[in-house]
Amino acid sequence: MIRFVNVKKLYSHDVVALNNVNLHIKPGEFVSIVGQSGTGKTTLVKTLISEEKIDGGRIVVGGWDITRIKRSEVPVLRRQIGVIFQDFKLLPKKTLLENVAFALQVCGSGRKKINTIAPHVMRIVNLEDKLARYPFEVSGGEQQRVAIARALVHRPKILLADEPTGNLDSINANEIIDLLLRINKFGTTVILVTHNREIVNRLRRRVITIENGQIVSDQAVGKYLL
Amino acid sequence: MLFISLLRAVKFSLQDIIRNIWLSLVIIIILILALFSINLLYTVKVIGQATVSAVKEKIDVSLFLKNDATEEEILALSQRLKSLPDVKNVDYISKDKALAAFTDKHQDNQEIIDALKQLKRNPLSPTLIIKPNSFESIDDLSKRLDALDSPLIESRNFANYKLMLQKIDSITAKVAEAGLLISLIFAVITILVVYNSVRVATYTHRREIAIMRLVGASSWFIKLPFVFSGLIYALVSLGAIVAVYFLFLTVLQPYLEAFFVSYNINLLEHYRENFFTIFATQFVAAALVNIIASLSALRVYSKI
Repeated sequence: MIRFVNVKKLYSHDVVALNNVNLHIKPGEFVSIVGQSGTGKTTLVKTLISEEKIDGGRIVVGGWDITRIKRSEVPVLRRQIGVIFQDFKLLPKKTLLENVAFALQVCGSGRKKINTIAPHVMRIVNLEDKLARYPFEVSGGEQQRVAIARALVHRPKILLADEPTGNLDSINANEIIDLLLRINKFGTTVILVTHNREIVNRLRRRVITIENGQIVSDQAVGKYLL
Repeated sequence: MLFISLLRAVKFSLQDIIRNIWLSLVIIIILILALFSINLLYTVKVIGQATVSAVKEKIDVSLFLKNDATEEEILALSQRLKSLPDVKNVDYISKDKALAAFTDKHQDNQEIIDALKQLKRNPLSPTLIIKPNSFESIDDLSKRLDALDSPLIESRNFANYKLMLQKIDSITAKVAEAGLLISLIFAVITILVVYNSVRVATYTHRREIAIMRLVGASSWFIKLPFVFSGLIYALVSLGAIVAVYFLFLTVLQPYLEAFFVSYNINLLEHYRENFFTIFATQFVAAALVNIIASLSALRVYSKI
């Protein structure tokens, strides 16, 4: 599904974000990528969605070599990879349903498709009763669930979660992780980037540890090592 | 899908204009000011050109004939003049006609009228007014008339029109040069102001743009609302400048007519006749400035 081969990313000649990263994630896996702040976790996410270009090596996603991806092909890639962030990235002047529908609107989907898919993904994240609410009217956990719903509208094969629980209390954080596990059960590959020790240890799934831009550990059923 | 995307881009653009109404108004006002200054300079140019053409049209040379010349002799001379290569037309003003015109012209000046009465005779001489084929042939015509040998001719009036027109031409050219410079300065100011306004707009939309990119919107779809906004700003400014400038011309026209008496300078008519050329050019220019500024601001600040 995802393959990193000798991937190198430099921000300047002496700032190495990723150094010789080799990684293979199979379809349907749930992988946690852990590491301290500034170790290259977010850079790895950015290279995967082609937000950052790499300086060496190769990245293959679903058989597609995205190392030298054209600018015009980036939107196609991003529709295949759902991404959620710590800060939710919701539009405050749109309702929860409109936020989800927005992702379909900007990609040219028709009204009928939007009216079917948007409420459906809101049901998946258990927010069907709060469609008309605005982001400031719901909790952080619920906002993150909206972000997950939005990431699911294109039925991605991969869901990238970059510190999704960073702004949440432990109850909401556990709810989000449960939701990610449920999505993974449906066959979606989930990559969880986090530095939350409790969550990683509770998951008992594959854990990849990054330190100074390099993979220092890759355990099939791992624990937070650092 | 393309049609849906276009409609959505228009919708997003209108939403953006309304949500940032003050910023939109600033952009529109700046565009109106720039277009007004450009129209003002164009007006000066049109007046200059119209004046030069009118003066050229009015240029003629006069041959003053002796008082005792008979009608037959004068008409024979007139025919002779008409056969000259540079002559377009020859008008014969008889003594009586000249006196009637003189009296009519000075009817409000009692002193002149009294002086005429005291003379008890017509002091004016018959005149032949010769119009050249073109302004450029005035020199050749003057030389020919100078060389013309006729006992009927009492005096000749060859005013130095060329010098006068050269002065008008030179003033018009200088005004046009200054106008071009001022227009360029305004264009640069407009580009900078619009660029900065769009930069602010882009900054206020950075979250929305980031989300669009994240969920897989194509870069042309992200840019399109800004392009439409540019077109809408240009269209609204153009509508406003048409209304404002026609009002301005309506107020200006009577003053122009009073100032350029006997010169047919009608700016309103000129603007009506050339409406499409004048305002379509301005629309294209305003839209281009907006769109280029928007796209380059997006490129720099949102990396699109």
